[in-house]
Amino acid sequence: MEPAATTPSTIKLELMKDIGRKDILMSVARFAKSDRLLVGSSDFRLYDFDLASDKPILLAHEAAHESYVTGVAIAGSQIVTCGFDRRLIWWNAETRKPEHTIADAHQRFIRDCQASPDGKFVVSIGDDMVAKLWHGQGGEPMRELRGHEPMTPHHYPSMLYACAISPDSQHIATADKTGKIIVWRAGDGAQLVKLDCVEMYTWDPNQRRHSIGGVRSLAFSPDGKYLAVGGMGQVGNIDHLEGKARVEIFEWQSSVKTHIYSDNEFKGLVQSLAFHPSGSWLMAAGGDNTGFVMFFDLKEPKKSIRDEKAPMHIHRATLNETGDAIYAVGHNKIVKWKVSSVPA
Amino acid sequence: MMRKIPAFCGSPDHPGFGRSSEIHRRSFIAGTAAATATAFAADMGGVDCFAQPSYADELKRDQKRVILLWLAGGASQLETWDPKPGRATGGPFRSIATSVPGVRISELMPKMAANLHRHTAILRSLNTRNGDHGGASELMLRGRRDDATLHYPDLGAMIARELGRADSSVPDYVAFYSETEGRRSSLQGPGFLGSRYAPIQLFEDPIPADLRRLEEITDVDHQDRERLRRLLSDRFVRNRGSNTVNSHNTAYDRVRGLMSSEHLFDIEREPQQVRDLYGPTRFGQQCLVARRLVEAGVPFVRVARAWWDSHGQNFETHLELVTELDHVMNVLLDDLQQRGLLEHTLVITVGEFGRTPQINASLGRDHFASAWSCSLSGCGIKPGAVYGASDPDGLTVVDGEMGAGDLFATIFHAVGLDPEKEYHVGARPVPLADPGTRIIQDVLA
Repeated sequence: MEPAATTPSTIKLELMKDIGRKDILMSVARFAKSDRLLVGSSDFRLYDFDLASDKPILLAHEAAHESYVTGVAIAGSQIVTCGFDRRLIWWNAETRKPEHTIADAHQRFIRDCQASPDGKFVVSIGDDMVAKLWHGQGGEPMRELRGHEPMTPHHYPSMLYACAISPDSQHIATADKTGKIIVWRAGDGAQLVKLDCVEMYTWDPNQRRHSIGGVRSLAFSPDGKYLAVGGMGQVGNIDHLEGKARVEIFEWQSSVKTHIYSDNEFKGLVQSLAFHPSGSWLMAAGGDNTGFVMFFDLKEPKKSIRDEKAPMHIHRATLNETGDAIYAVGHNKIVKWKVSSVPA
Repeated sequence: MMRKIPAFCGSPDHPGFGRSSEIHRRSFIAGTAAATATAFAADMGGVDCFAQPSYADELKRDQKRVILLWLAGGASQLETWDPKPGRATGGPFRSIATSVPGVRISELMPKMAANLHRHTAILRSLNTRNGDHGGASELMLRGRRDDATLHYPDLGAMIARELGRADSSVPDYVAFYSETEGRRSSLQGPGFLGSRYAPIQLFEDPIPADLRRLEEITDVDHQDRERLRRLLSDRFVRNRGSNTVNSHNTAYDRVRGLMSSEHLFDIEREPQQVRDLYGPTRFGQQCLVARRLVEAGVPFVRVARAWWDSHGQNFETHLELVTELDHVMNVLLDDLQQRGLLEHTLVITVGEFGRTPQINASLGRDHFASAWSCSLSGCGIKPGAVYGASDPDGLTVVDGEMGAGDLFATIFHAVGLDPEKEYHVGARPVPLADPGTRIIQDVLA
């Protein structure tokens, strides 16, 4: 089925599901062509939600993590999760039990894991500042990608926050706290491009003397040409997430920054990015003490074309294959929106 | 009950007179002449002096010192000394075993965990009931709330007064606070003890401004001028006899001492290897200066590390700041021990409050004073001791509830001071620690 070519200026959101939770939901993956979600939680568990029914069915996987489940990916028939406990776990989707656990997959906290669209490999990223490739099915190590600095310019530990894999599974992008982005060739681990979004890293040298921010989200465009980068602009009072939500887009192979979106009404971190399958618009979701969803048309170089307040700070969001549904998880909530166009 | 030791009042007739903690040498000099006439009226006049120098000297012979690592803004107890892994309030970090069997702390503190048995006691049951930065800072720096009629001194001023040496050429109280946020709240001052016990405050500059002799005056000139001033002053005193003039002369004596202490603030004089150990951060460098200062006999040094007020992104903030604290605190304690100083130096690590167990929507933690933690290391402390407990979610104290006054009484006792020792402000007796507070014996050696 061809994705609907929604006209950006006519985007309309309709809240379809709003499920309250006591925990903080950190990560989400969706089974193809379904309303079934896998959600990683602050209670250290992985949950299976089916939003198709009126009363969503919730199934907990066996407790196997010892910290927040920060990433979940579906690689073919395998489910992979990661957490602050440094573990990568391959799960049996049917029994909801772990099949293969790598106890110290990284030396420090694991921030995310993503499966390649072809299902052949999984990328994990951790605060040891290494991206690691693993066989999608068995979990055997394939390759390590090293290039991010372990320390910030101000002598504090850096963090590797975000990764994305291109739709053709050929390229991997990783991004860190200081706003450095590296695009790698998946086949041999070669560094292809280094990009900068330094505006997303705030170091306060005087008032509070620590930092906030960093690149928190990445997404390749469907044609693989563009790389979108999400975070937060410079922050005055770093006690709070009060910087403007910020998205920058690169034509990454030429290292040209084509778009900067920072003039919007929302403050906080852009935690998740996804292009419409047609490439016609880009969704950005995140928040401060509340949440937002924004939409950008690459033809409109500076401003979002639609802003929507979310009922919670969104930690992760994903679009379905046809670009007409958004699934978001975050602070105490799971939300589904229907995305549609209306006549201009 | 311990005997009460009358206060060493700082009068010109007793050791300690003339100590000053004016920030700048020139302002010190200029201020002293005018101040001496009024100092006792303004600062000390209200304090009745039951001074008995023998007691004071007895205390000071021990050469006890205190370093306060002031975690301004409020560090999270859950990400440091009192983790709650696996609870809804616990956050993402795990706990790790320490070198003390059965005691676990946050995994962000691996170095302190490995050495907990050597130097440090943890107190997990502070309930200080004040979640406002200003009021809580006042409480945790003075050990009690101010009252309408009396402005109490802060811990540094009391330690400076009790442990400072009259014949010392170094400052009695040095305070670092480089960040601007929360700085005003940290300026609690000497209260009724008077400005002589105010700290040398260091903000942006690592070395006190104007401490250095002016380049256009040679050291010989400077000493000659002092001799001339002394000659004239002595002649003046012979004819009149005056405590005020004695005060004036002692203050000038002190200036030379303060000027000669400039090198203590210069970490370039430390071997590169030692500087590397403390690391490149400003907090690390200031802790190295603190070690140099206590090594030279400065009785109280406060190093503030601001700003921990992580309403948003608590875990990212603590990843940065606790990692730094763990490293620097561990190096400082090791360094003090290797130099034979830790036995006589108490290191206090505390802020104005802790942080809420509840995690807010920005993944932050807010102000929380109901069940939080601090640590004491070194002098007089039982290493590896853990006192008090919070409930499984960290919401309330369930064992050993203590307040700021109890912490202060314990601090005083650890450095050999009687918490019940009294100052007299007019006719009013004022003990070092707030009346009704208790010493936490479980953490004392």
